[in-house]
Amino acid sequence: MITGGQRFVASPPAFSQDGKKLLVCTGCTVSIFSVSTGMQITELEGGHTDRVTSVVVVPVGAPSSKFMSYCWTSSLDGTICYWDFASAELIKKVKIQFPVHSMVIPSLSTIGSTEEGSNLYAFLSVEDINKPASEKKALHGQVRIYDLKNQKPVGGLLTETRNPEILYASKNGEFLGISNKRKLHIWRIPANNFRFDEIKKIKLHHTKKLTCLAFHSTLRMVAGGDDTGRILIWYNFGREKFAQNLQNLKGTKNPSDEVKPGVRNNDDVDSCTTWHWHPSEVKFLHFSSDGAYLYSGGNEGVIVVWQIDTGKKKFKPRLGSPLLYFTESPDPSLSCVSCSDNHIHLLKMPTMDISKSISGIKPPFSFPLKHEGSCTQVAFEQTTGLVAVSTEDYCVQFYSLFDNHEVSEVQVCKRNFQPADDVMLYVALVAISLDGSLMATIDVTIPEEKLGGLVCLKYWTRGSLVAEYLLSTVIYEPHSDAQVSSLAFRPGHNMAVTSSYGGDFKVWVHGSHASRNNESMQRTGWRCQSVGSYKGKPLTAAVFSADGSVLAIAAETMITLWDPDSNILVAMIGDTLSPITKLSFVGNSEYLVSYTHSLKPQLSVWSTSNLALYWSHGIVTEAVSCSHDESQFAVLALLSSPGDADAKGNGVIFFFHVEDPVPVATWTVTKAKGGSLAFLPANPSLHESSATNGVNQLLLIFMNGEHEYTIFNPHKEEDIISKNSRKSQAAQDEAERLGYTSIYGDLSNTNAKHNHFQEVPFAPSERPWETIFSGSSHVLPPLTKLCTSFFESLLEKRLENSNEMIIDADL
Amino acid sequence: MADESKPFFPVEKAHHVKPPPPRRPRLNTQESRFWRCFRHSELASGLILPVTALEFSPVAPFHLAAACSAAVHLYDGGASPSLAPLPHSPLSGFSDVAYSPSFRCDGSLLAAGGESGIVQVFRLDKAGPPLRRLSAHARPVRFVRYPRLEDKLHVFSGGDDALLVYWDVPSETQLITFPGAHRDYIRAGSPSPTSPEVMATGSYDHSIKIWDVRVPSSSNAILSFSHGDPVESVLFLPSGGLLATAGGNVVKIWDVIGGGRLIHTMEGHNKTVSALSLGRVGNASTALGGGEPRLLSVSIDGYMKSFDFAAFKITHSMRYPAQLLSIGFSPSGNSRVVGTSNGVIYMGMKKKLLQEEKGTGSASVFDGYAPEPKKQVLKPTNYRYFHRGQTEKPRETDYPIKRAPKVKLAEHDKLLKKFRHREALVSVLSKKDPTSTVAVMEELVIRKKLLKCVANLDVDELGLLLRFLHKYATMPRYARFLMNLANKVIEMRPEDIQSNKHLSKHVGSLRRRVAEEIMIQRSLQEIQGMISPFLIIAGR
Repeated sequence: MITGGQRFVASPPAFSQDGKKLLVCTGCTVSIFSVSTGMQITELEGGHTDRVTSVVVVPVGAPSSKFMSYCWTSSLDGTICYWDFASAELIKKVKIQFPVHSMVIPSLSTIGSTEEGSNLYAFLSVEDINKPASEKKALHGQVRIYDLKNQKPVGGLLTETRNPEILYASKNGEFLGISNKRKLHIWRIPANNFRFDEIKKIKLHHTKKLTCLAFHSTLRMVAGGDDTGRILIWYNFGREKFAQNLQNLKGTKNPSDEVKPGVRNNDDVDSCTTWHWHPSEVKFLHFSSDGAYLYSGGNEGVIVVWQIDTGKKKFKPRLGSPLLYFTESPDPSLSCVSCSDNHIHLLKMPTMDISKSISGIKPPFSFPLKHEGSCTQVAFEQTTGLVAVSTEDYCVQFYSLFDNHEVSEVQVCKRNFQPADDVMLYVALVAISLDGSLMATIDVTIPEEKLGGLVCLKYWTRGSLVAEYLLSTVIYEPHSDAQVSSLAFRPGHNMAVTSSYGGDFKVWVHGSHASRNNESMQRTGWRCQSVGSYKGKPLTAAVFSADGSVLAIAAETMITLWDPDSNILVAMIGDTLSPITKLSFVGNSEYLVSYTHSLKPQLSVWSTSNLALYWSHGIVTEAVSCSHDESQFAVLALLSSPGDADAKGNGVIFFFHVEDPVPVATWTVTKAKGGSLAFLPANPSLHESSATNGVNQLLLIFMNGEHEYTIFNPHKEEDIISKNSRKSQAAQDEAERLGYTSIYGDLSNTNAKHNHFQEVPFAPSERPWETIFSGSSHVLPPLTKLCTSFFESLLEKRLENSNEMIIDADL
Repeated sequence: MADESKPFFPVEKAHHVKPPPPRRPRLNTQESRFWRCFRHSELASGLILPVTALEFSPVAPFHLAAACSAAVHLYDGGASPSLAPLPHSPLSGFSDVAYSPSFRCDGSLLAAGGESGIVQVFRLDKAGPPLRRLSAHARPVRFVRYPRLEDKLHVFSGGDDALLVYWDVPSETQLITFPGAHRDYIRAGSPSPTSPEVMATGSYDHSIKIWDVRVPSSSNAILSFSHGDPVESVLFLPSGGLLATAGGNVVKIWDVIGGGRLIHTMEGHNKTVSALSLGRVGNASTALGGGEPRLLSVSIDGYMKSFDFAAFKITHSMRYPAQLLSIGFSPSGNSRVVGTSNGVIYMGMKKKLLQEEKGTGSASVFDGYAPEPKKQVLKPTNYRYFHRGQTEKPRETDYPIKRAPKVKLAEHDKLLKKFRHREALVSVLSKKDPTSTVAVMEELVIRKKLLKCVANLDVDELGLLLRFLHKYATMPRYARFLMNLANKVIEMRPEDIQSNKHLSKHVGSLRRRVAEEIMIQRSLQEIQGMISPFLIIAGR
């Protein structure tokens, strides 16, 4: 069993202390990626049973602990774990009764506090599970303090909020903040001699819901972003409340006399300024480590760099999707930004060029409701084990299922992606031919009040690389203005079929009708060979048989069989209760599977030899996949009816033999809504167990509604979890040198050298400069050799002197 | 480490895949710089009839002879700044159209053929009747040539009667005749540059033949090969070993010594190539044979092409507004003339003529060896080294770091980037490019902003939009989209359209266009109705 397709961007990642590794929360494990290659190195597993919510890397204190690599992780299962992530070992596990949504350990930020004596206090944002979820108004979120060393909670609650909020700590660990509705709560934590009653709190008010905040690295400055896109910066907060002692307080002026520009509710700050560029919610704020810049990002996928003194802006546009988190590494020339399309881009800092991307499978996006029936987001390429996923930014992403990483991305519509509320242009259908050499896509523009809608069919041919596709033909409006319902390639031929709800289907062939002239290769392309229709009914599905000899097209409730070459109607099979959603031939057998999606769900198996229904079930089918050689197929069924609004999305995979209406095997799965199934040939190099077993080993892949997938062998009840092979690909390489060392190389260890010189006993030679040049000129070695020995002799002299001086001093 | 983020897509690319732009000649080659340093003018424009031949005298001052109608015009090659007619020009004495003037090797006599079939020999130093009249041909003589080397007594002539004659000029006698030398009109020929006895002729029977007068006249050519098209022009290249022939759209280069082997075919022209000439390119002393030789060809497609027959590639091409019939390139390298079918001779005179002559004269006087002027290399010890500007070219050892190319965006793209939708629409409407306008409109549809834009247009901008609609709404490519848009616009802005005279005029013409289109569609449907029964019958 292989699993993959985890989400990398559910929680913010963290850099290791040397800036060469990136710790990413992937479900209930933490994956560690190499920054220089973008590949996974190892995985921290076995500690948590639920989603990991935060990672805190223990900083390096003394140079002796240079190779220490420890981190704390918190999870929704109510535990906090302490790991050695270099060897991927769990060291300690702390149980907390509540699901932890966010964790910061401020005392870790101050270097030197990792000594044995001091206690480690973690600040946790937890969810109070004692209060019932039905109470909407109840305060479910709590901020607690926990002593990790002694494994006990400290003090009471710091605050209670409606929902668990994300905690932010300042760089020096002095301040801690959360955003709670229209307020910021900021606590000051005493740096040494931690006592619970010394924690002081202020509130900063705003008129909009605040979404994120950031503390300045050196100054007492906090920035908050709200859901309208404004960024507020409060200067010098907490001057009165957080003052060290009463003398300081007396020295200041009476606060009511002061003019505080931009400050609401007489908050404890000097001034507040507002910047506004983002059109919608600000998702992250981050002060640069030197404190001169503020990075902000949001839904529009642009990193804005604000110069704090002047408020001037710089932009890093076209990151392709809404941004979620920004993380800076200890190395100032590297940082990373997490995008909601499951990508983490590593940025080369001053220029913000993307140096590497850690790219997960892109998440599904919501189609407009009206057109949902005619969309398949996922197509599988059988030969190389790739899945093609249509993405929100008009691309098709090719993702390697066995290796669990992105292979390539094909831009279908050349348009700049702007995240918007309603999708107006999307890639509706993707089909890949059996051998993977051809791809067809359909992209749909939704009309604006019946104006300007466009359906566009594009054919692609594979380039020289794996999953590199080049556009070969564009066909505008293949079925005039009707929506295309399905798209299928004919196995073994350069032929494809599209069917439309407008009542016709078209057979497309790849022809070179300029074959008389070899030079005009541009004339070759896809063209329509024939058009057909059946009683003017909307055609809802089309598929070729496995050997390509028969074309089956569903005309609402009837199935029509055609000869694809001569375009002659061969036979009809009917009748289902409601329009057929999808058709599929079962391998090389004469059977055909169909399912309907409407209020009367039905899964039917038809026999083409006697043109009749063979058997059927009344189950809600989400996907069907047929193996190509055997007469077996798998069905993904939902446990709830399609009209059921609060369906949990649990489903069942049935594995049928076509002769038998009783399933051979069943598996229960979660998040089945929007899921898909496919048979893949086993990749022997990756899956030794199946290769040894037999010849015709097929693997079944189940991809759920969030594009997480599982690959397993349907024939065996095996539960051997073979992990992703991605680990082996990451080479632990020597990273680039940074800063001073990148220019001048490593500093030599002067202390060691000094000792070395003292240890070696030195025999001074007698005036070598006199003997070196003696002799006749033709006997002398070349001048270059003489010079070096001459200079060496001078050096020897000097050392000799210094030794003498030391001796003198000793005397 | 390259930036892997996505590029910016201009709006036009998104919707209409454009064919790659036509390949533009690189304007900065040395060759194009050479050709650009000619000053263009018309040498003669009132000749009306085609200029069939242009010939430069082989000796200084390189007079030019141009055959046009019943005269041969003579121009003084030494005149400055441009060619000027000689005092006794034109040479008359032709009873019919004159063809193919040819200078003797010393430049003092000129022979020319004619429609009447008589070859006449003129003297060039003063006006007068022809010195000799050589009559043997029964049909027009289109090909008359003096041998190129030191042979002042003989002349070759070939005519439409397929007769090739080797004349002794002083005595007006035919030394050798080749009756039926070709099976069709002889229209072209070239004397060998290495031997006065060898001559190549080309004919409309597609064949090229090489003749040698020393061979006993068994009326057989020493070499014959087929060009594949009627031969319009033949030219020996300077070595004497290569021969260029023009016929049809192609110019072919043959190896004569190797027995008529085809070496290269140049297919740069679109129509029949009419004439060939030798030229020299380069700034070194062209008068003395410096510079690189080029084969110049002109065609009736109006192009003159310069062909480098050492590298076998076209190095330059130039377009003229008329069909070109003849070309000449002065041996001095200072002027080039092109004759057209409508009686115009285009001339290019080299700019900076005087300075160059001064510059090249001094070095070449002594030994013909012109030392290359050494360019002073700037060294870091030099003060100017630190003041090198942007124009400084990198040295071989330098590693140039390219700045990221600046993305050039159209105005509407810039406005769309800033979400200024209405301004983008107005900007692209005023550009009057239908593809980009429709592309911007489709982009606005995707952003759900088109109708809002239409609602916000003021009266002038609405006029722009209506003008665009009435021009392009019935074009089949955009009709589906634009007809709907036109409907919407008229629905949304009725008051503005009614109150403004110009707008209602636009709408009126739009209505007329639509009515016309409906008529066309109806008649097409009628035709389809008539044809389809036949097709069905034929299909059975």
